[in-house]
Amino acid sequence: MELARSARAGDESAFAEIMRRYSPRVFHYASRFFRQRNQVEDAAQEVFLKAFTELGSFEGRGSMEGWLTRITTNTCLNMLRSSKRRPELTASNLTEDESTWLDDQMTDLAAERHRSAERSVVAADLAGRVLESLPPDDRLVLTMMEGEDASVREMAELTGWSESKVKVQAFRARRRMRRAVEKLLARKPSKQLQD
Amino acid sequence: MSQKEARHIVTLIENTPFAGLSEAELSVIRIHTADCHACRLAFEAAYVSTMMLKERARESVEPSPFFQTRVLATLREQEATESWSLDKLWRAAGALASSMVATVALLMVLTFALPATQESSSRVNAYSPEAVLMNEAGDDLSSDSQVLSTLYGAEEDLVK
Repeated sequence: MELARSARAGDESAFAEIMRRYSPRVFHYASRFFRQRNQVEDAAQEVFLKAFTELGSFEGRGSMEGWLTRITTNTCLNMLRSSKRRPELTASNLTEDESTWLDDQMTDLAAERHRSAERSVVAADLAGRVLESLPPDDRLVLTMMEGEDASVREMAELTGWSESKVKVQAFRARRRMRRAVEKLLARKPSKQLQD
Repeated sequence: MSQKEARHIVTLIENTPFAGLSEAELSVIRIHTADCHACRLAFEAAYVSTMMLKERARESVEPSPFFQTRVLATLREQEATESWSLDKLWRAAGALASSMVATVALLMVLTFALPATQESSSRVNAYSPEAVLMNEAGDDLSSDSQVLSTLYGAEEDLVK
């Protein structure tokens, strides 16, 4: 709160300290929305510029981290909504590594035996591409609830939505993601589900 | 397997985060998907989606060492632009006030100085036929002969 007060009074070093403390968190959240590093950095910059102008509205009731997380969520959602570009991902767009990863998942459905750093990168990148083809709200819900295990209540606090809206949004987002992935999996005959 | 049950499996997958499915629910799904190709594909897709999202959640982008400098420079630039805009606004207001003063001065000149000029020009034409006949100038400086010559001169002009 003291830092916020000093920064509000025009103390640049106080604001620099806020950035030093919270930029890893802001980058973490912004990277849930964007794939490219420069996009993440642009979003994080926008977050801190907004935070600086809105420091007056931070009353210190909640944590600064929570306050910045909400700004990050809203900023990233607005940036995604304004871009409107949602490239469609089809099976023919998949790289060889992504195809191999999907095949491996099918042959090894119940266990995570082949996990490696390289495969993780392929999976994360493929997730980013699938998410890019979905509406921004779906992207947020899936990333936070499926990826980060956020609860319905946490999502509601983060977005300002009602809990029922979060549930409906999550249902629709899962359906859209499932259908997008089904199209990718349907490029080859599915193998038998293993235990 | 009935269509109703098949829908139930898909709904179950869509209603709950994959990681939140209980062992009992997973077992129901496995039994069902053994015979139902559509539901098996839906379950596989849900599983793969979750795997991808988990992998993505493990990734994190760290701020670059120049990030702070970049943001602070942008802030300073924004503040400079804002103060420049205020300065510009102040100058524009000054220009507006000056032009208003100039307009008022011009109106005053037109109101008070111009009628005086018109009056003096009417004095110059004091010997026009109409002015002489009507004695508009209000003076008796013109003699009778001047009046007569002006009168007949004007008639001759009309005849011509």
